[in-house]
Amino acid sequence: MKTVSFSSWGGKVIDNRKGMPAKAAAVEAPLTIDGGPVAALMGWNGIVVADPSVDLLSLTVAYLEEARKLSCGECSVCLIGIDRMLDLLKARAAGKGVKADLDEMDEIVRGVAANAKCNFGRAAALNPVGDALKYFRADFANPAASAGKTTAKTYRVAVTAPCMEACPATLDIPGYIELIRNGRFGESLNLIRERCILPGVTGRVCTHPCEDACVRKDLDQSLAIRLLKRAAADADLKAGGTPLAAPAVVKKEKVAVIGAGPAGLAAAYHLRLLGYGVTLFESLPHAGGMAAVGIPDYRLPKDILNYEIDLVRRLGVEIRLNEPVDRIDPGKLKKAGYAAVFIAVGAHAGNAIGAEGEDAGYDGFMEGVEFLRRISLGQKIAPRRKVVIIGGGNVAIDCARTCLRLGFGEVEILYRRSLIEMPARAEEIAEAQEEGVKIRFLAAPLKVVAKNGKVTAIECIKMKLGEPDASGRRRPVPVKGSEFSVKTEMIVPAIGQNPALPAVAGTEALVVAKGNTVAVDAVTLRTNLDGVFAGGDCVTGPATLIEALDMGNRAARSIDLYLQGETPAAERPFAGIDTRAQRTKGFVSPAASVEAALLPAKTRIEGFDEVEGGFDAPAAIREANRCLRCYRLMVWA
Amino acid sequence: MIEITLDGWKVKAQEGSTLLSHIRARNIDLPTLCQHDELSPFGACRLCAVEVKVNGKWELATACNTPVAKGMEVRTDSERAIAGRKLAASLLYYRYPATRAVRDLAENLGVAVAAEAADAKECVLCGLCTRTCREIVGVAALSFEDRGLGRDVDEPRIAFDANACIGCGSCAYVCPTGHVKMEATGDKRIIWDKAFKMATCQVCGRPFAPEDQLKYISARTGVPMSRLKTCMSCR
Repeated sequence: MKTVSFSSWGGKVIDNRKGMPAKAAAVEAPLTIDGGPVAALMGWNGIVVADPSVDLLSLTVAYLEEARKLSCGECSVCLIGIDRMLDLLKARAAGKGVKADLDEMDEIVRGVAANAKCNFGRAAALNPVGDALKYFRADFANPAASAGKTTAKTYRVAVTAPCMEACPATLDIPGYIELIRNGRFGESLNLIRERCILPGVTGRVCTHPCEDACVRKDLDQSLAIRLLKRAAADADLKAGGTPLAAPAVVKKEKVAVIGAGPAGLAAAYHLRLLGYGVTLFESLPHAGGMAAVGIPDYRLPKDILNYEIDLVRRLGVEIRLNEPVDRIDPGKLKKAGYAAVFIAVGAHAGNAIGAEGEDAGYDGFMEGVEFLRRISLGQKIAPRRKVVIIGGGNVAIDCARTCLRLGFGEVEILYRRSLIEMPARAEEIAEAQEEGVKIRFLAAPLKVVAKNGKVTAIECIKMKLGEPDASGRRRPVPVKGSEFSVKTEMIVPAIGQNPALPAVAGTEALVVAKGNTVAVDAVTLRTNLDGVFAGGDCVTGPATLIEALDMGNRAARSIDLYLQGETPAAERPFAGIDTRAQRTKGFVSPAASVEAALLPAKTRIEGFDEVEGGFDAPAAIREANRCLRCYRLMVWA
Repeated sequence: MIEITLDGWKVKAQEGSTLLSHIRARNIDLPTLCQHDELSPFGACRLCAVEVKVNGKWELATACNTPVAKGMEVRTDSERAIAGRKLAASLLYYRYPATRAVRDLAENLGVAVAAEAADAKECVLCGLCTRTCREIVGVAALSFEDRGLGRDVDEPRIAFDANACIGCGSCAYVCPTGHVKMEATGDKRIIWDKAFKMATCQVCGRPFAPEDQLKYISARTGVPMSRLKTCMSCR
């Protein structure tokens, strides 16, 4: 069992310094970070001392120096308070302290926690220093006593925020919001692009888990983080658009990226920025992957996506469209001069619904992803009197709303669970219903009914919710004898996708994991083949755009290290730590979120115009001012 | 109208009004450095800290950017509120010991202030200039240089965008410490180290406004440049 000498993590004090029976079992503090043991740690939520020989005084100074970097310096108490603390501590270390210093330090800790402007100052900046002063007062009162203690030469530092931890790509969200608050839209966009090369796209369609983690959510409303990202991208586009910064170095190696979706584009951009030559191979006539052929125009206008892809192309990434990528030949690619390959072919094959007749090739039966792909590629699909869409995810909603816009008479979604289990974004569901999409809950398809090769109806069965399954949602169970039939001229199943994996030429083969996905190492994203990496939906199965961007970012770093003969290490220092937790909340004056305008439902279904409006600069600045700036800092040895 | 309790007094308040406006209306002396009635509240100087009751617990809040709420209980004279304001003032004094505006504030709040003859007129980051420039002038030539994660800015400071500035001088007038200097020599105005050519009045021949400012006024209001060639006194 791991034991601590002292912990004040989360405000729960455990003090075993006098050899009292170990209460280690109750410690919820970080005792290991990224697999390594922690000797002593100072963080926003308290201090943890596992090794009593660590010098708290030098750890406190190291902590304050890092806190100093994070303080924005705008309010009168936080940065100046930190600087005053550092001056007092350094004077003490030099033997020039007086007794009253400790009282002044207590006062500053209290004053900053109570009166700082942002949540970093209030909840984070000086809390652990206050704990150190309180529980290790002798060390501070007599610095000479710590002479024999261990002073780490370098301390490790990690910074995050609840929103950053929730973001799959760990964007510096408080950072880019603060830049917007100060009217620095261009710098904000540059910061976003460090980890998100499709800012205008994610600013429109991201599922924004960051907003669920926002500390403000419990006070009034989450920050509109997604729309702020969009505001940064829109402001740049409105001003004429700035090109991406060019690579600073040139490297001789070339990398092949298979698939020009979000993962492929992110990897290509970062590899190019690192100086590599990059060729993107895409089977479709357009780059963008699911963002191009899976998301309808009313959510994501194509010119936004195309502009952001074009920026990557103008950086020197070669994009080859209409390239057959169903067969990868590492030998050939090597001969063509590619030192590494990144497979990011996505998941574009619809899953079977398990209904009788779905493979019969009836007219009027079409996979959801294929339906959206055809529309995106400009093909015509004639409207029919009625369509039934099967599924509860974003693809199902996208198909339904597209059908309305194409002029289908009646659009109905069939979902086997209830509204709360629906995986589609709540605002999408609401918008679809406003537009006139009907949703039939707790029903599953049994059989496709056709006449003369044409769909005429779908036979269904009613469901009820049973025990929770592996996904945590209640499992739908058929109700015996409740079969019914719905007349329809078209059926569009949309219950998930899987990758149509490319074959590998020669005697080699990719190791395939569950769900027909490519098996990779979780940290390095290496496949079983040397020099071949994979990421995005073809590894995770259908996931979000931001998750694909994150894998592309990480693949680029991993490929770079591979080509330089190194291996990346795991870096999730806050894994398993509740970064939303804070010991004091203080007073935050309530302020409702700024809302973006939506097109009226009637106008929306007349065409494919973008439904959601964005923020102009004043609205974005107003919303950015609501950010509490909840940076979380940990310094440890 | 709603009712709040301020230092024990029942006070009627317009929804959306700030605590500070009611505190000032009752002639309670609460110092501020970053507040201006014509600008959005910034809450940076922390000198208007008062106590507000939240879920039965008293918490510090800055009066300038806290809107009133129904039944809100506020106290300006508690030990903690006074200590909070004094600490903010003493830290400002610690950072800007020779700037008169800060010294005066600190002294008023009970901070021991040493004698000092000269006035260093330092920038205290109150943000009055940045907000005036953006919100009143509509130009945004001044903004905070952001510090923070991954930013390589050692000390906080105000950044000046010479391309955007029209030389109107509003920032110099609003600056509480005299840090923003505006100098005039002949037909030149120098502000933030940028020299602006002054337009001369076609009647009296005296320089009266920066040419860039006149162009800006013309572009914003639609008044043709030909009508902006005479100074106010000669009009």
